[in-house]
Amino acid sequence: MSKYLLVTAALAIGMASGGLAGDVTPGKGVDMVLLPKFLGIKVFDQAHQGALEAEKELENPKPLKYLGPTPQNSVAGQIEIVTNATTQGVGAIMISNNSGDQIVPAAKAAQAKGIKVVTWDSPIPSAEGEDVFVAQVDFTEIGKVMADMALSIMGANGGKFAILSASPDAANQNAWIASMKEALKDPKYAKLQLVDIVYGDDQQEKSYNQANALVDKHPDIKLIMAPTSVGIVAAAKAMQDGGLGDKVKISGLGLPSEMLAYTKSGIAPEFALWSFTDLGYLAYYTAYALATGAIKAEEGATFKAGRMGEYKITKDPTRAKGLRILMGPFTVYNKDNIEAAAAK
Amino acid sequence: MIALGRLKSWEGLLLAILVVVVAMNVMRSPYYLGIDNVVNLFQLSIEKIIVALTMTMIIVSGEIDLSVASIMGLAAVLLGCLFKAGIPMPAAILIALLSGLAAGLFNGFWVAQAGLPSLAVTLAGLIGYRGLARVFIQDHSIGGFPAWFDTIGQQRTVGPLTISIMIFFILFVIVAVTLHGSGLGRLVYAIGNNTQAARYAGVRVKLIKLCLFGASGLVAALAGILYGARLGSVRGDIATGFELDIITMVLLGGVSIFGGSGNIIGVGLSILVILNLRNGMGLANITGDTQTSVVGALLILSVLVPNLMHTLKTKWKERKT
Amino acid sequence: MNWLQRRVRPEQIRELSLLLLIILAVTIFGSLIPYYYTSRTFDRIAESVTIIGIVGIGQTLVVLTRNIDLSVGSIVGCTAYFIGALIAGNNGINPLAAILLAIAMGAVMGAINGVLVAWARVPSIIVTLGTLAIYRGMLVDLSGARTVTSDSLPGWLLNLARVNLLTIGMVRIGALFTIALSMVVIFQIGTTYLRAGRCIYAIGSNPDAALLIGLPFRRLVFLVFVISGALSGLAGFVMLARFGNITVEAGRGLELEVVAAVVVGGVNIFGGSGSVVGATLGAVMLGILEQSLLRLQISEFWRDALLGLLILLAVASDAVILQRLRTLWGRAELKVAPGMPPPVPETEKGVTNP
Repeated sequence: MSKYLLVTAALAIGMASGGLAGDVTPGKGVDMVLLPKFLGIKVFDQAHQGALEAEKELENPKPLKYLGPTPQNSVAGQIEIVTNATTQGVGAIMISNNSGDQIVPAAKAAQAKGIKVVTWDSPIPSAEGEDVFVAQVDFTEIGKVMADMALSIMGANGGKFAILSASPDAANQNAWIASMKEALKDPKYAKLQLVDIVYGDDQQEKSYNQANALVDKHPDIKLIMAPTSVGIVAAAKAMQDGGLGDKVKISGLGLPSEMLAYTKSGIAPEFALWSFTDLGYLAYYTAYALATGAIKAEEGATFKAGRMGEYKITKDPTRAKGLRILMGPFTVYNKDNIEAAAAK
Repeated sequence: MIALGRLKSWEGLLLAILVVVVAMNVMRSPYYLGIDNVVNLFQLSIEKIIVALTMTMIIVSGEIDLSVASIMGLAAVLLGCLFKAGIPMPAAILIALLSGLAAGLFNGFWVAQAGLPSLAVTLAGLIGYRGLARVFIQDHSIGGFPAWFDTIGQQRTVGPLTISIMIFFILFVIVAVTLHGSGLGRLVYAIGNNTQAARYAGVRVKLIKLCLFGASGLVAALAGILYGARLGSVRGDIATGFELDIITMVLLGGVSIFGGSGNIIGVGLSILVILNLRNGMGLANITGDTQTSVVGALLILSVLVPNLMHTLKTKWKERKT
Repeated sequence: MNWLQRRVRPEQIRELSLLLLIILAVTIFGSLIPYYYTSRTFDRIAESVTIIGIVGIGQTLVVLTRNIDLSVGSIVGCTAYFIGALIAGNNGINPLAAILLAIAMGAVMGAINGVLVAWARVPSIIVTLGTLAIYRGMLVDLSGARTVTSDSLPGWLLNLARVNLLTIGMVRIGALFTIALSMVVIFQIGTTYLRAGRCIYAIGSNPDAALLIGLPFRRLVFLVFVISGALSGLAGFVMLARFGNITVEAGRGLELEVVAAVVVGGVNIFGGSGSVVGATLGAVMLGILEQSLLRLQISEFWRDALLGLLILLAVASDAVILQRLRTLWGRAELKVAPGMPPPVPETEKGVTNP
């Protein structure tokens, strides 16, 4: 009898101190702001949908504010939105950071006022002003995936390829490119030669022109790797319009629905992505949990994020400082699975 | 001295609009008149309003300077590139300021000396100086300035005010005294009213215009440097599109686009109107391009309304006689 | 010399020299860059000339009347986006109807500019600076900042960029390029031979005189803005066909390139002289410079810096050289002895219409 009491008491103490600390209680009213790199990109719209789904499940009576700058004004716009949100005294800001470390002063000011700052998709490089980063995938793994796709497309004889990225300040793309360069050091990829990196700023026209410029400058490249959902589509169309689909292939990170025609025609035989809807969902849960005090932004904290299961905050191995929550897997799309994915 | 009668017209209208805008904003957000938000209000557009002061003088003299935003960008970029190359910060700041002065004088030379229309010259400058800035910095951003530099743009040093805000007020006084209280100011108005007459009266039109453009470039460079301090870093495309706000602030303030009339109080009031409008829109979660389109509408109205009033007044007079 | 003076006007000499410069540039670049004389080079140059050329026609007409239209970039973006969204929503829409809708939409936006400039007498620099912002804001607002994606567009639209109408040697003349060329021809003939065309030149040359002799000043100024908007609408459609994906950023900054092309092409910023063909040559020159600089591995950013310099040089040389040439021409026609003051009055340095 006393043994059972002891066990029950131990269990109760255990749950109170550690396990149940991650229980997220729905129904609390928290002002949340979702801030993408800028408006107008489909993947961010998907993240928005995911966040709305989470909001519904958590029964948050205060509606989510989805605010973003325009691509031309992304950095200053993001800083302005964070500053304004701080004045309004919101509960949490979820930002896909396009401003590098320039956003640190504004983010720190928000934290000073008790606002939780959660980054998703793209973190604050120095981790200052940030509570936790919700990472869609492990950034070092992305590098290896991109290297693998490049190898599979160019074949055993390898060849020259180039990278078409987004903004030169985008923390996520820069980390992915860095990790791909690291991965390429493996002798398996010895025949793959990276000749150039250009930036399309996630803008259609610019990416289109940059893709064409790449082919103009390096007429013998065999692949353009574009780890940006806007760049990959623009590059694919550029190759298609120029009749180069046989000579130059496209790969990178893209949305199945946007890449359907190009994968079927063989211009983009392989590319990868994860679920942005899930990312938005998870970011919302994380921010809500932090804002309502269910968890603290420290290493080891765990919580249950609705339908996605348990998540734990760990140290971010890809940055000097910073905590992260790793979301999970991504999918490689090719002719076989793209139709099903695009229909979703 | 501004006659009380004048106060009834344009400046009075601006004051009324200002009161309405502030009232609407206060109703929307209780924090609005707090010192934090007021400083924020100025900070978010501080660089634009600094340049608006010299733009006032340029427009009064009958010219226009479309290249100010590009000079801002060029100076900021030069600052960043020099800093990155290892040049000590104070020297880099000086060189950046001089570059703005040089750009302004370059503009001024073609307008004053060669007699080309300022619209075309400064349009070329808008494109050219921005391009030059991109040549230096390519697609990157340069940050990591020394802490004391960031403090200038971001920290509240004198009480709750930042150094940028102090600079604005000092410059405001300087321009006010020059335009309204000095001989030079009267000459600028004269040039704006009738350039030919001024020239025949012995006014050194070319020299004055050259100086005005030089000052415009220098102040634009200063604003660009302050912008870099506020953001903590510089890019090739910073301050793009700022000329719209700057010109609107001046024209809304009652300064005629044709030159020769307007006063600094009006510009000060219109600056307050536009700042409050932008801040209010920001707090109402209206962002970026929508805010800019409102400013664009204001720009058109600031010339349209006086035109209409003038036509109505003349038609009214015709009816009476 | 007399024969020359009787047959050729100074402005035509300007355009001829531009043509020579183009040939010179192509020759120089051709010797510096390998694989220069290929169809790919022509394609890339034709691509950029198509859109800028179409908008440039409208801008030429506006500048001829001593005005400027800075809102063309926003008009192109708006039409590209909204017509794109329309087609995406109704894939079965008649292609001709879509093109006409784009033109009509652009014309309406241009008409707003026209009313404000012609009747409300607001200077065109102010009006178009304002509408540049307003139309762009409208685009961002009404679109919800979404993107028109190519997977939602019908095949005929996307393939338009690749349709080849004619192949001369290695030069491929595409459908879009043909549209641009035909516009240039139509408007060049129109401005030279139609009465309205000549009146536009008159208004720009000397607005006061034009008013005095009773030309329909306001209606013509209104008309040129409508045309500029309509052509921008057409260019928006071409942009849609070329890129497929249209974001709210489409066309941003286009106005600066167009004004550059027009000024470099010899259209005088004071109004009254220049031609549609000249503006198109200017667009060609700029396209060649851009493509060639890229190939030479010179940073693409030099393009804008050079653009600014070119505009300055073009305006400066026009002001100085053309003025001298005109004086020379004027003297010869009236057989005035050199050294005598020319009977041709100096043109005013005007910025706005009266």
